[in-house]
Amino acid sequence: MIVGGCDVGSATGKAVIMRNGEIISYEIIPSTTKPEVTARTVMDKAVEMAGLSSISELDYIVGTGYGRLKVPFANENISEITCHARGAQWLLPTVRTVVDIGGQDCKVMSLGENGRVLEFVMNDRCAAGTGRFFEAMARVLDCGLQGLSELALQGKHPATISSQCSVFAESEVITLVNEGVDLADIVAGLHASIASRLNSMVRKVGLVEDVVLTGGCAKNDGLAKALEDKFGMSVKKLSLDPQIAGAIGAALIAAERVSKQTMKNPA
Amino acid sequence: METKIKSKAFEQFTEATKTLLNPVLQNWKNQGGKIVGYFCSTVPEEIITAAGLVPIRMRATGSTSTERSDAFFSSINCSFARHCFNLALTGDFKFLDGVICVNSCDHVRRIYDNWTRFVPDTPFIEVMSLPRKTESAQVAWYRDEINLLRGKLEKHFGIKISNRTLWKAIKLHNETRRLQKKLYELRKQEKPPITGAETLAVMVAGTAMPKEQYNNMLRELLDELSRTKGSGGHRARLLIVGGILDDPAYIRVIEERGGLVVADSLCFGTRIMWVEVDESLSDPVEALAKYYVADRPSCPRFYGEHDNRAKYIIDMCREFKCDGVIAERLMFCDPWAVEHYMLGQDLKAAGIPMLKLDREYITGGVGQLRTRVQAFLETIGR
Repeated sequence: MIVGGCDVGSATGKAVIMRNGEIISYEIIPSTTKPEVTARTVMDKAVEMAGLSSISELDYIVGTGYGRLKVPFANENISEITCHARGAQWLLPTVRTVVDIGGQDCKVMSLGENGRVLEFVMNDRCAAGTGRFFEAMARVLDCGLQGLSELALQGKHPATISSQCSVFAESEVITLVNEGVDLADIVAGLHASIASRLNSMVRKVGLVEDVVLTGGCAKNDGLAKALEDKFGMSVKKLSLDPQIAGAIGAALIAAERVSKQTMKNPA
Repeated sequence: METKIKSKAFEQFTEATKTLLNPVLQNWKNQGGKIVGYFCSTVPEEIITAAGLVPIRMRATGSTSTERSDAFFSSINCSFARHCFNLALTGDFKFLDGVICVNSCDHVRRIYDNWTRFVPDTPFIEVMSLPRKTESAQVAWYRDEINLLRGKLEKHFGIKISNRTLWKAIKLHNETRRLQKKLYELRKQEKPPITGAETLAVMVAGTAMPKEQYNNMLRELLDELSRTKGSGGHRARLLIVGGILDDPAYIRVIEERGGLVVADSLCFGTRIMWVEVDESLSDPVEALAKYYVADRPSCPRFYGEHDNRAKYIIDMCREFKCDGVIAERLMFCDPWAVEHYMLGQDLKAAGIPMLKLDREYITGGVGQLRTRVQAFLETIGR
């Protein structure tokens, strides 16, 4: 059985292909302005990487992410909330809290023992605590996303950033830069401010160990560290790229659908 | 998920949700009839009807901008206040012969302040003082308020509102409530013949046209619906809770994801009709005061009623076999803010899943709404 998950996000498109419960390939590409094109391109790449000849070799495909309704070859679409939870739980069965930080939103899911979402909260109304925020700050500080993460870890005395609005935080950062505050301290302060915002979201569904980060921003170690400080507990690292957790979840659900079908109509 | 309602009445109801001055209302106006707009469902419509006027609930339907009104408000005022006052400034409410405000919340109260000052050509404008508690002292207070309004309406419009005409109006409005309740009864079916979005259109229309005509049209609709079946095919049955929600398109987004809305606690829903005004009292104004302050299902505007509100919602979930609750609130709506948290706790204890949604008055951000609703339906295993 070969299945696929295709997660069309605001910033990137992700595709995962699984054969009999194992990931055989995955791809991440920047999103285009056409979700159909993003979906098709990333899936074609994953298909090629898996050594398959075409998408039609897949038994079932689930689409997810903001563009999930526009994945032309998907058999079904499932929300990214369910998919990220499923993917995270498959990668780390003991997970109970998933913090997914994507390009334009962040979500927190609390999971039951079976990996089912019990409750979720979502912020997609402002850029604070999303990839867009970090991109904007990396641009202002001219340090790149990786540099941002490294600087955050170096900051010894995080500066106070009172504004969580990405536009106003930018003004605050510029003020601090001009006051001669150490760059690492500014960046650490930014991360602390975003971590504080995420923390209050997490508290809405309840903080239960194990906690994991998914989504593109999960690659930001500075953020993980800032969150650990706020949570007072460690944030577990996933064994695979956290950015593809949603696509993995989608592929897992696709596999489930195929198994159910096979049980109903044995060959 | 759309039923195929054929009656002309339904078409007119739908039309009424899309415009401020719908054809039925326009017709009333053309015949020389007068129209009075009122804010919030706590203003007793019956007194307006008894004055020979048509009461319509204030909405900001069709507003596309708040650029004229933003200057009059602060950054924490809700989008309803902004859109509504913007329409007042652009002259879209000029068809009204009067406006009755109420201190239902601080946002709406400020519409009154701004309106009296900056929309000076309004023929009649009044504000009512609504109490916050629901005991007999507050009923007496509101009785006085209604009597004051009665006097002012009589003076301005040069009419007399007798107890007899008031009782007649109460009976007429109670008839509306009974008919609407019949409509809700149909939604208890496994395959309701009407969707939640369609029902909201029927309810909104009820606040936007003369009641006699509305009642006749609603009878026509009920007659059709009692003979038809819905298509079913929904993933879950939902109850929706919240404040001013007058846009069927919002519920349509929820229903397109497969969550059929079958019941509600809304002020364009059950809260304005589940209970009737007591016709057995001797003083009609007393009856109205008691109804609007104490008897009808309360909204978070009132103190000390939270437990009753939660019970009302839980009971209704059971009655309509709902799988979950969607609680919506306008951004910056203070009465509904903490209510959502408390209600969430109560529903959790009752084993009923709940989704909280913040929204803007004019439906937008559909993608965000869609994702939340879909995830909610998946979460509750539907």
